[in-house]
Order: sequence, then C-alpha cells, then structure tokens
Amino acid sequence: MPKTQVIGQPLPRIDAVDKVRGEAVFGTDVQLPRMLLAKFLSSPHAHAEILSIDTSQAEALPGVRAVITATDIPEVDTYDPGHRFHAFLARRFVVFVGQPVAAVAADDLATAETALELISVQYRPLPAVLTLQEAILPDSPSVAHGHQTDSSESAAHGHTTVSSDKAVEKPETSPNIANRSIYAHGDVAAAFAASAVVVEHTYTVPTVHQGYIEPHAVTAHWDRANHVTVWQSVQGAFAARDLIADTLGIPRANITLNSTEIGGGFGGKIEGIFSPLAVLLAKKSGRPVKLVLTRREELIGANPAPRSVIRLKTGAKKDGTLTALEAEVLMDAGAFPSNWIMNVITTLLRNNYRFQAWRLEGMEVLTNRVSITSYRAPGGVNASFAIESQLDEIANQLGLDPLQLRLQNLALQGDLLADMQPQAWVGAKEVLMALAGHPAWTDSPPLRVGEDGLLHGRGIGMGSWGGARGPAAALAILEADGKVRIVLGTVDVSGSFTSMAQIAAEALGMSVEQVVMSKASPDYAPFAPMSAGSQTIYAMGAAVKEAALNLRAKMLKYVAEDMRVPETQLDINEKGVFVVGKPEQARSLPMVYQLGTEWFAEHGPLMGEGSARQRQPAPGMAATVAEVAVDSDTGQVFLTRLTTAQDVGQAINPLAVEGQIQGGSTQSVGLALWEEVMYDAQGRVRNPSLLDYHMATAADMPMIETIIVDTPGGDGPYGAKIVGEPSIIPPVAAVANAVAQTIGARVYDLPITPERVWRAMQAGL
Amino acid sequence: MAYKLNFLINKQPVEIAVEPHLTLLEVLRDHLAMTGTKEGCGTGDCGACTVLVNGEPVCACLLLAVEAEGQEITTVEGLATGDGLHPVQRAYIANGGLQCGFCTPGFLLASVALLAHHPHPTEKEIRETLAGNLCRCTGYDKIVRAVQTAAREVEHA
Repeated sequence: MPKTQVIGQPLPRIDAVDKVRGEAVFGTDVQLPRMLLAKFLSSPHAHAEILSIDTSQAEALPGVRAVITATDIPEVDTYDPGHRFHAFLARRFVVFVGQPVAAVAADDLATAETALELISVQYRPLPAVLTLQEAILPDSPSVAHGHQTDSSESAAHGHTTVSSDKAVEKPETSPNIANRSIYAHGDVAAAFAASAVVVEHTYTVPTVHQGYIEPHAVTAHWDRANHVTVWQSVQGAFAARDLIADTLGIPRANITLNSTEIGGGFGGKIEGIFSPLAVLLAKKSGRPVKLVLTRREELIGANPAPRSVIRLKTGAKKDGTLTALEAEVLMDAGAFPSNWIMNVITTLLRNNYRFQAWRLEGMEVLTNRVSITSYRAPGGVNASFAIESQLDEIANQLGLDPLQLRLQNLALQGDLLADMQPQAWVGAKEVLMALAGHPAWTDSPPLRVGEDGLLHGRGIGMGSWGGARGPAAALAILEADGKVRIVLGTVDVSGSFTSMAQIAAEALGMSVEQVVMSKASPDYAPFAPMSAGSQTIYAMGAAVKEAALNLRAKMLKYVAEDMRVPETQLDINEKGVFVVGKPEQARSLPMVYQLGTEWFAEHGPLMGEGSARQRQPAPGMAATVAEVAVDSDTGQVFLTRLTTAQDVGQAINPLAVEGQIQGGSTQSVGLALWEEVMYDAQGRVRNPSLLDYHMATAADMPMIETIIVDTPGGDGPYGAKIVGEPSIIPPVAAVANAVAQTIGARVYDLPITPERVWRAMQAGL
Repeated sequence: MAYKLNFLINKQPVEIAVEPHLTLLEVLRDHLAMTGTKEGCGTGDCGACTVLVNGEPVCACLLLAVEAEGQEITTVEGLATGDGLHPVQRAYIANGGLQCGFCTPGFLLASVALLAHHPHPTEKEIRETLAGNLCRCTGYDKIVRAVQTAAREVEHA
C-alpha cells in the first residue's frame, strides 16, 4: 500500500518558475496574428428603453472592423431573459449602469475607443429601482423584463418554505422579489419569552468586488469553418464553454475553450460573462478579437458580491444557552437573480449554533444595479457578520466568555440544520479549542490604552462553509520516459495542481517530480467541475487519486504477468516496479511503458481512469481572533494581530493551505474595514478605481498566524477537506467584535469606517 | 506620427517607432511582446506594471514611452540570467510568495528596488515600500517573508 511520503509536504507551486520569470500566459497576454482589440459601449442609465442605436459613423471609421449590437445576436432556443449570461448586450431595455449596448473591434485600442464615441444611442429613461426598501414595495416598478413567472399572486420565481409547523405563509406581492424562503421551527415567541437576554439589530453589508488583479480577459478566433477557439481567464472551462454555447447557439463540439492562467477569480470569473462579445465580434470581423476589461469596467459592470440588510434577533438563557433566532434577510441581486446566494445567507445565520426555535425569512430582491455573483464563500460573510456580532453582544450582556458561549452552543453532527437536514461532521469544537489554547487567545489582552495612545481590544468570530463537491474525472497516463501525465480539465486557481501532483505521486508511490499535470480543454479532458466552491482538491483530487490508483493497479498487474510473480509481492518506487525485499528484481518505468506499447505487447497502453462521484458533505470550519487599535480622535482602526484556525482535514500541501487561509483572512479584513462599491442616487458607481475602492495593502496588514486543524469527515483524498473558502468568513466578525470591545460601542454597518467608529463612540459615551 | 525611440531594456538596446500617446506598458506588451509586465488597472493604483527605470520602480502604465527615451529599463524578463533565477525570484518561490502570479512581476521588481535601497529592511519598511503593489491572493505574509529571505541571501552572497 502507498506510504505517506509526499502528502503533507509544504512544496512550492509547480508553476512558480514560469510565474516569477513572467512567462506564464494569462488571459490578458494572449496575442494572435491579425488580432483586433475590442471595447464595449455601456449604458449610462440604470433603467431605460433603447429607442435606437446608430453605428454607421463608427463603422465608417478607418481601422474599425466590426460593430455589434443586439441585432447581431443569433436567435437561440436556450435564450433566457431572466439570466445575466444572456444580457451580455442589452436588447430593448438596459437594466443597470454599465450594461453593454454595443461593442467594437478595431485595429488598436485607441481606434476602438474613438469608435465608441461615434455610436449614437437614443434612450428613454425609465424609473429605476435602486434601493431595497423601494424594490420590495407592492407598487414598485419591475426590474425584470419578460421573465416574470407568476403574475397572479406573486412574482416570486422561487418560493421555499421549510417549516416543522407546516404553517401556510402568505408572501407579500412585489414584482422584484425573485426568491423568497422561510425556514421555521418551534415556538419562537415562547422561546424569546423564556430568554434572559434578547438582542436585536439590523446589520448591513455593502456591495463588494472580488478584486482579482487580472481583469476579465477573453480572445476568440474562428479558426475553422463554424468552429471558434477561445482563450479565456476563467475558473470553469466547461462552464465557460456552456455559456458560449447557450447564449450564441454554437454546438459544444464547435467550441474549443482554452482556459489560460488566471490572475485571480474568487468566484467572479467562473464562466467569464463577457465572452459572447468577443466571439460575436470575431465572427463578424473574420479576425481574432481580444477583449480585456478596464478596472473601471470591472468595478462598474462585472458581477460583484451582494449587499444585504439583515434584521436579526437572538435570545439566550442566563447560562448562555441560545434559545430563539428570528431573521429577515434582504439580499440585493441586482438586475438578475442568483437563485441561491440568499438561501446561503439565510440558513447560515442558524446553522453553526443550536436554537430551540427559529424563524428565518429571506428575500432575493432585484434592483437596477449590476447583477451579483459569487465571491469566496458567497453570502458567508453577510451572515457571519450579523450572527457573530450578535453572539458577542449576548456574551457581553451575560458576562460570559465569547469563545465559551460559542463552544456551548455549537451545532454538531446530527443536529438539525435550517433545512431540517442533520448536520454532517464538523470540526467546530476542535477549531475553537485550537484557538482557546493558543497565545492569540491566552496571552493577556492588550492594555486598553496602549503606550501608542491608541485604544486596544480583541475579538473572535467563527464561520462555516459547506463547499461544493464534484463529480469529477481525470486520466493518469504512463509516458515513455517513465513520467505519469495527469490529464484533467480543471483550472489551477490556488496551487491545486501542485497538491494534485502530490496526491498522484502518493497514490502511485512515485515522486512529485515524476508527475506532469496536463490541463486540457473540454475537447480533450473528461468532465471537470469549476474551480470554485473549494472543491478542486476535495472532488477533482479524488478523481486524480482514483486515476493514479487505477494506473498503479494496471502497472502491478502487467509486471506481475511479465515477471511471473504475484502482484502482492510487487511495489512501485521512483525507478520502477520491483519485488518487495529484492529491489534488484525490477522493471524500470520505461520498461513498464513498453509492456503496453511495443509491437506484440500483450496489453494495451497503460492508462488509469478516475471517475469520481459526488463527495460526501465535509463542511469547513474556521475561527479567527483579531486584535485592533483604534485612534479615538479619528475613529481609524488598525489591525495589529490576526490568527485564523481552520479545519482542513489533512493538509495535502501546508504551504498552499497557509497561503489560502492568509489570503482569505486578508480579503475578509478588507470587507470589515474598507471595501464598498458606492453608488449614487442614479445607480452609478462613485468609486470605480482601486484608489477609491481600497483593498488591503501590505502596509495595512500584520503577519497572519494560521492554525491548521485536522479532523475527520467527508471522503476527500487522503483525508483532505475543503480549504479555499472558509477563511474569508470569520475575520469580519472578529474585527468587528474587537472594535466593539475596544470602543465600548458597536458598528452595525460594514465597512467599519473611521466615521462610523467615531459616531459609534460619540453615541456610546 | 510615430516617434523613433531608443531604450536599454534588460541590458539590450531596443529601437522602436511608436505613437506618442502610447505608454511604456503598451509598448512593452503590445509592440515588443514582453507580456511579463502586467496591467491590473492602468491608473497607477495596483502596481502590477511595475518596472525599473534606471533602477527605480515606476508604474509603466503611467509613463509615456517617449518619456523613457534613452533610459535603462528592467522588466521581469530581465531578472533571471539564463536559467539562474534572481535571489528575489528564488525567495518568492521558496516562501510561497506567489499564488495566481499576476501581481508577481510587479512585486519582484518593487522588491529588487527595495533591497537595493534597504539591504536590511525591517518588516515595517518592507510593508510600507510594497504598499503600492496590490496582491489579492496571499495576504502579503509570505511576500514579506520572501523579501526577508532574499535580504539574507543577498547579504550572504
């Protein structure tokens, strides 16, 4: 059986040399002969009817090779007016500022930009729905055009009620409530009445951007009759191909989708929503076309993460036992529904802790803003900021230790979740205990007034994430030189190829250097899930392990027949297949290769298949302790110490796992303190630059201590569980709770700006 | 009308005729096919396009190519000599100072300039000097460690 040799080794990324030499080819780097550059004209209105578009002057400009508008979109059976993918060019209506209405391909960028100025669009502005409060009114104008599903009683697209009481819920009518969910259990009023303390507040989280440093980038080239090749910076090659096929009616067999190196995605580049523009422009011009978004276009029009307003009420007994939970969640989806993120927010309010009774109501609301999508543990931060702030307040009011309060109320394996399903195994207790015994928590708290004249404090937060989990497939092929090629259709966004090379090497009994990771387009690779939902190691890693084990079994079988020894006496190492205890009796790897390739070979070529079904649930738990310093004159918050513990099961590559935890934690700090896409009263973004949309810099952050916790659970390869997402969840609340402890007052709105801190301090004094 | 320009790029003389409105970044990427230098914002806020001009870090997106006439420019492609990586490149790899790698060329050049000015930088100096470069993946911890490692290595070399 394989020995643990390479699992758990902290190895540098296998692609690191290419990247430090500047040789890795990202989506923005693709260059083809005769390639044109594309720009799009975007809507200045949040809601308007397009009366006419005149592109004749733009088309006449020398150097312009193609101009497209909605009239160039082919009619397709798969057209869905209720989906953002199909809104890549506005048809009759524009529904958010920044929505493309026309696009141009030209010899160079300057010509394309000039051409945009020559396109004349006549709009009839319509009433725009820009606030959640107005969007949910029964007489609110409708954001959706042509995709209401139910006009008689409610326009809700989806209506979920999970209630142990089977009470009939009557939703209010508004055309903009795309989805509405109610999760209820027990007698909430009685449970609140029996509580020693009840806390109720409203928590807001703003729209934020994923902030990947490489903007969306896509290049399309119609290289054969009716066949298009696309190079794109995306997280999911299969999903990106599907998007092009479904929006433009191109058979999948006629699309080659090459996923390039990707300069960050974090959920924002799963399918690459701008590809139809490049594909259509390439078709019309007959030349390769590259489209790269500007940072301004990214911040205005490229699927950010949703804002939410959560009214939350929590009760507890004197001893800290949680009793009842009541919540109303409003999530702004923008102009098109996500159809799932609101449910995540609503259920995550409840799912980490036990309650006797609860009533949670969530609404996914449409507004005339850019539509939202995933951002690392989508919705996790929205929920965690609310519930973890509230638990801290309860602990404070009851005079209990906030870590102990969490420990005593954890929802553990078998406890009912909001959807009335039993909780899977979670390492929640282990993660909290790891912090409880760590200097981050056991060190004496910082002096409230430090020598630096600043106020100091400490806070804790916890979060969980379910993660996605397959299915996935991969191939393992023995090569002539004895290397093993892993063929897979997934995208490496987080160093996962290095970890999967470790998994393959471990399964085979060979070294990591002998494994070659071959990313293939969906033309050549078996199905791979998108690199999202923390599933790449957990699900695709399982397929890689299975493929490697399958190859190993065939290698042993072939050699056993060739050497006439039982398979059980054979093993594999870096040199080849050998007889255990007699290493001189061996077949080198190139010789093993020949057993399946030479003339008159008795076997077919050596190839292992891994086709792994969906994995079992393995929720990831993380918790953070943060220390902050606050300038009481200005309200400015400085993060001084950050420690995140996360249960990842077996860390395949601890260097990569630490990097994931540190990166997720830092994004979370940004959400806590600085990040917000700000809108004016017309629905226009006020801060579409990285100067005004502040992401954490090196100077904003301390070193980040990580605690890797390994508990059982799930059925991932070698005990691995999900890694990427959970770490973004708890630091937001840990920072918020640290600020509250420091200033003796609480900020209920993210980000925790100096002004909000200062105002909270004035109100609290 | 195109202007004829001369630079020394990674110690090689380069002569090219370009339109005067083009930035150094556009000339490097689009005209010289040196795509190692990245564009993350085009407005000097993210540092992904950092190159060295006469040894000083500059956002190539903010510098017109004509302004770099006659200057000595170092890009990420010029850090390694043959197969031998620069100590800063090695330190970033060993410490896990890169993930997606898109910001990495800018960070490498900013780090090289930092160590040229401060051979023994404190953590605070590293953080403040690299604050003009944004990384969304690493949380900067391993980048800081990489620069500390590189400083030790350069000292011992």
